[in-house]
Amino acid sequence: MTEETIYQRLKAAGISRRDFLKACGGLAAVMGLQGAPPVAASGLPAHLARGGNPAPLIARALATKPRVPVIWLEFQDCAGCSEALTRSHNPTLVDLVLKEITVEYHETLLAAAGFQVEEAKQAAMKKYAGQYVLVVEGSIPDDGIYCTVGGRSALEILKEAAAGAAAIIATGNCSSFGGLPKANPNPTGARGVWEIIKDKPVVNIAGCPAIPEAFTGTVAHFLVFGALPELDELHRPKAFYGNTVHDRCLRRPFYEAGKFALTFDDEGARKGWCLYKLGCKGPTTYNACAGIKWDGGLSFPIQSGHPCLGCSQPGFWDGGGFYQGQSAPIGRPGIGVAAAAAGIGLVAGAGIAVANQAQKRAGGNT
Amino acid sequence: MTTQAALRTFVKETGGWVAAQLEACTRCGMCAEACHFYQATGNPEYAPVWKIELLRRAYEQRFTVGGKLRLAIGLDKPITDADLARWSTVVYEACTLCNKCAIVCPMGIQIGPLIHEVRSAMSEAGVVPAELMAAVNKQMAEGSPLGMTDDVWDQRLEWVADEWEEEIPRDVQGADTLVVFSSIEVMKFPGNVAAIAKIMNAAGEKWTVSSQAREVVNFGFYEGNEHRTVEILKRVFDGAKALGVKRIVVTECGHAYDALRWTAANLMDVPLGIEVTHIAGVLGDFVRSGRIKLKAGAFDNDGAITFHDACKIQRRGGHIEEPREILKILAPNAFREMSPNREQAICCGGGGGVIAIKSADPQRYAVFQMKLDQIRKVGASTVTMTCSNCRLQFTDSVAHFGLDLKVTGLAQMVADALEV
Amino acid sequence: MNWTSFLAFTRGPLFYAALLIFIAGMVYRLARVVALGWERDRVKSRGSKLAGALRSYLKGILIWPFIPWVKNTFSRNPLIYVAGGLFHLGLFVVIFLGAAHMLVWKSLLGFGWPTLPLPIVDWLAVVCIAAMIVLFINRLVHPVLKLISGPAEWLNLLFVFLPMISGYILTHHLFFRYEMAYSLHMLAVDWLLIWIPLSRISHFMFYFFARAIHGAQFGKRAVAP
Repeated sequence: MTEETIYQRLKAAGISRRDFLKACGGLAAVMGLQGAPPVAASGLPAHLARGGNPAPLIARALATKPRVPVIWLEFQDCAGCSEALTRSHNPTLVDLVLKEITVEYHETLLAAAGFQVEEAKQAAMKKYAGQYVLVVEGSIPDDGIYCTVGGRSALEILKEAAAGAAAIIATGNCSSFGGLPKANPNPTGARGVWEIIKDKPVVNIAGCPAIPEAFTGTVAHFLVFGALPELDELHRPKAFYGNTVHDRCLRRPFYEAGKFALTFDDEGARKGWCLYKLGCKGPTTYNACAGIKWDGGLSFPIQSGHPCLGCSQPGFWDGGGFYQGQSAPIGRPGIGVAAAAAGIGLVAGAGIAVANQAQKRAGGNT
Repeated sequence: MTTQAALRTFVKETGGWVAAQLEACTRCGMCAEACHFYQATGNPEYAPVWKIELLRRAYEQRFTVGGKLRLAIGLDKPITDADLARWSTVVYEACTLCNKCAIVCPMGIQIGPLIHEVRSAMSEAGVVPAELMAAVNKQMAEGSPLGMTDDVWDQRLEWVADEWEEEIPRDVQGADTLVVFSSIEVMKFPGNVAAIAKIMNAAGEKWTVSSQAREVVNFGFYEGNEHRTVEILKRVFDGAKALGVKRIVVTECGHAYDALRWTAANLMDVPLGIEVTHIAGVLGDFVRSGRIKLKAGAFDNDGAITFHDACKIQRRGGHIEEPREILKILAPNAFREMSPNREQAICCGGGGGVIAIKSADPQRYAVFQMKLDQIRKVGASTVTMTCSNCRLQFTDSVAHFGLDLKVTGLAQMVADALEV
Repeated sequence: MNWTSFLAFTRGPLFYAALLIFIAGMVYRLARVVALGWERDRVKSRGSKLAGALRSYLKGILIWPFIPWVKNTFSRNPLIYVAGGLFHLGLFVVIFLGAAHMLVWKSLLGFGWPTLPLPIVDWLAVVCIAAMIVLFINRLVHPVLKLISGPAEWLNLLFVFLPMISGYILTHHLFFRYEMAYSLHMLAVDWLLIWIPLSRISHFMFYFFARAIHGAQFGKRAVAP
């Protein structure tokens, strides 16, 4: 790593000051910054801290701060979160942040492989001990054979990497809450990072995949303020996970009016009606999809006609089924179990009635 | 051990029919709005749901796990002797078993019959109002609660036949129809006996009365005692069997119809091939079929007339339209319907044995005020009915209040308007 | 334990258990009554008992909720008649014609049905809650109800009120985070499922017995109330 600041690097890459400032403004908007507390706490000069346009704030930060080392680990994952991040269409914030922070180790992105890379990783962890950001993608199984790199278990690798991290970002539902591997019956004992690492700050950028802007916005926050943004009870940044998809959904008026699509190609579906009856989990799903959307604001599942899966919520694979109503119970007694319960009731009730009939026959004497 | 006896009876009576309805009650209290005794006095203990409270306690405390638990931990009260005494007063003196509560109950619970079950338990426990019990005993011993012994009956009928010049066939073997009068008619409204005789004769009916089955009133039924009820019913059925009749006509009495037509078969073996019907139905048949002809408008010139629906003959008996068809002929202009009427009519307040108990007088007269209001609202100066117990209540109350109201019976009106 | 995982619990295992208890409990109550013995009615009918029973059902379901059929009697206490009716109407509409609940039925039965728009269901929920308050006050002041009401009657009101009010809060995102409101609603519903077989709220099952008996008794006598 060089000591050049992010701004210097950008300049060297041919990005003008004007473009830099515009990008900072965009970043600020994405992070939902409006001045006030984080600004005041940032320790930056008063005239910048007093509110107003935060873009200069970001600009100042990126202009004065060195790049941050990142160790990116993948465990039981599909690499989808990485893919989403790197497949941005134009050089945008994602590009900016991803390229302009150093990624010292990324299983998928690194061209090299093998034990040399592992050695490089160890060296980086030692060199930047206490400073690097650990990004984790994929769930962590029980200690053992399910996921090993270079003969070492995922759990061991995680604990080693977490020890020297300044903060941990779990990107995607798998590393946040266990994701797909955790789905019933969870044969590998998959878990999210925050269930394992308790002594370091962990932020969950949940989603399947995580929305790229949510990830980059959080990293940018860390860059600017040196701390993780305000988190909800599930450790997700409130800036992106503070509202439900339902509350920002463009089809909400149809929900209120009771206009629902009943199948995927019916008249209602074609008219863009609410997908609640097709199993949309919008009401209980906290994510930024309905606001920021995907592919640079192009669209999101509901807009394209598919109900929200609830992919930023814990256990969404076991949430009752993607096409079952959000209000429906998760799992229900099968007909066999219900019949057994009824049978028990029947036997008990008839039993009591028989005893009562005996009482009657005995002339009412107990 | 009165409580034990009552509890035993409650338990014996409680089968699926009773249990299903007790379970259905939601304690909504709507039944009180239907009960004329509650409406007239405002006493919440007269609410029908409260009248069957002891039955509920017995059911829950003996037959259900929850009830047993609640009794054990003190969340429900046991049944005590004091309870029996208190409830006895309520079910005998503030209930006529009119069953209007059943119509109003949103669940349709047959509260009237359930109150009857409570009376059964009271009877077994020996907690019955003295005057009522005296009448019961009198009927058991003499055949009638009103002192209408063999001889008295004999003399009265002789006198009626003579006075009104109507033939009253006695103990005719092989007659088609057995007419059984109530002692109320024979002793207090003898004109009614004559009227019915006149109608039967005019219709050319092959009818008879029976000295064995001479009393249709059933005080065992009022008491709620199954044994005595059946005893008394037997007297009527045995008389009918002995004469080989095809049908029994209950004259203007309500509870007797309930007992003979709608209850007897479930208490005893009733003779096959003998139909039981009520004079109100018979009058209707006679008029429809033309067996008797009525003078149209015969009662149109003496002020407005209204009709009082007797609980056991109209609401609980089904003879709702026949009286109206007849009154439309007899008083097409003068006839006015009270409100409410038909199966929703308000009870006269004297049935179910209530009129036999002096301590029930206050509420009985209070209920009569309700009837009076109804009658005054339609401006009627005459009220007619098909039950002589109602007629007794009306005449007694009219005298008590010193009123100007004319009280008559339908059979009387029909007899008076016969075109011969 | 956070609200999200608590929600998963109340919607999942707790609901599962509550539903089984509900089924076992209701069948128990039913069997206890049915197996108590029924005597054959040996009295000859004048009219049709079956027709009477059917008429009683139809009137109870189609007419009674909308038109008082005992005009005079209900005119003595119209407030309570209306409150009771609106309470039940609101309850049925919310439970069967609200989109969210219809999806619950769909997951249990395998099929769904059309629902009413949210504002209508919402309004009826408010009406239902208001009616419950009226009924509560009535039970406090009416002399007959004071006499016949025990602890169970008050609890019944409360345990039906809680799901209604929590559902309303949930739908309107009032006061609490959505998962918390949803969890509390599910808790109230799960408890109600357990409470129903233990209480008189089970009357909706016995309704069919009592009204059949009622209809048959009157049909037998050829009276049509």
